[in-house]
Amino acid sequence: MSGSSFVYVTYIRSTQQKVWDALTKPEFQKLYWFGGHQETTWKKGAEWKMFMPQHGLTDSGEILESDPPSRVVIKWRNEFKPELKAEGYSQCVMELVRENDLTKLTITHTIERDNAQFIQAVSGGWPRILSSLQSYLETGRAHGDTRTASEQAHK
Amino acid sequence: MSDYVYVTYIYSTAQKVWDAITKPEFAHQYWMHTNVSDWKPGSRWEHQHGDGSGKVLIDGTVLGSNPPRRLVMTWTRPDKSKEPSRVTFDIADYTPGLVCLTVTHDQLAHDPAMASSISGGWPKVLSNLKSLLETGKAENIWLIKGKE
Repeated sequence: MSGSSFVYVTYIRSTQQKVWDALTKPEFQKLYWFGGHQETTWKKGAEWKMFMPQHGLTDSGEILESDPPSRVVIKWRNEFKPELKAEGYSQCVMELVRENDLTKLTITHTIERDNAQFIQAVSGGWPRILSSLQSYLETGRAHGDTRTASEQAHK
Repeated sequence: MSDYVYVTYIYSTAQKVWDAITKPEFAHQYWMHTNVSDWKPGSRWEHQHGDGSGKVLIDGTVLGSNPPRRLVMTWTRPDKSKEPSRVTFDIADYTPGLVCLTVTHDQLAHDPAMASSISGGWPKVLSNLKSLLETGKAENIWLIKGKE
């Protein structure tokens, strides 16, 4: 095996545009991404930064491809955990497809390193974020800060 | 071939998630098919078509059962043309009101076609389960063609 990857697929009862907006607009991100948000223009070549309330800048990179509301590719590196930052840049592809009354959202996060700790970390994060997104778009109620709860549970 | 793992967080209770997997009338609402067994270790289980024909799509043996926390079972093609794979449901309380469901489908190395099929199927089934438990509504997920 060469490299590491994480794939997550979810079907959300919402329009492709609403899912796209929830993924890309900071005012929506803050509601379901456990208070975090991203700063970028979402245009190809643009700088991309993610901020979390408890850590400040957590990740940064660049928009490699952008085709609203269907696809975006982010060059993505962790910035606040030295062991993850040392693994270098990953690539995150977000794809949205209309499927009847649902939007199929596929996240594919890869890095050119075997058994990467970074991929292990995002494998825990994406299901929490995307479950919260689905709840937010379908019920209006996102999840609480499950990351904090998880960290507390493991103390 | 690596194991297939899908994790989802659902506003519900562990008992409701357990019932949604193990009670035929409940599973029919979001899986379109049903899972039929007495769910005791060693018992047979059947994944039956939801059209009322009772056609067995998958069957197997219950390997472990700890309601409403853990269910382990073999996942076998009815024609027994391949060695069975294994499915484990783990249901944990996460934060108040939020349940973490982990589905692990492993022992798939001998059946790549099944590995491909289930990696398309689990996200449909589990997203729909979450929708049903949180909103009371579900879709007919098998009408979704998608890119297989």
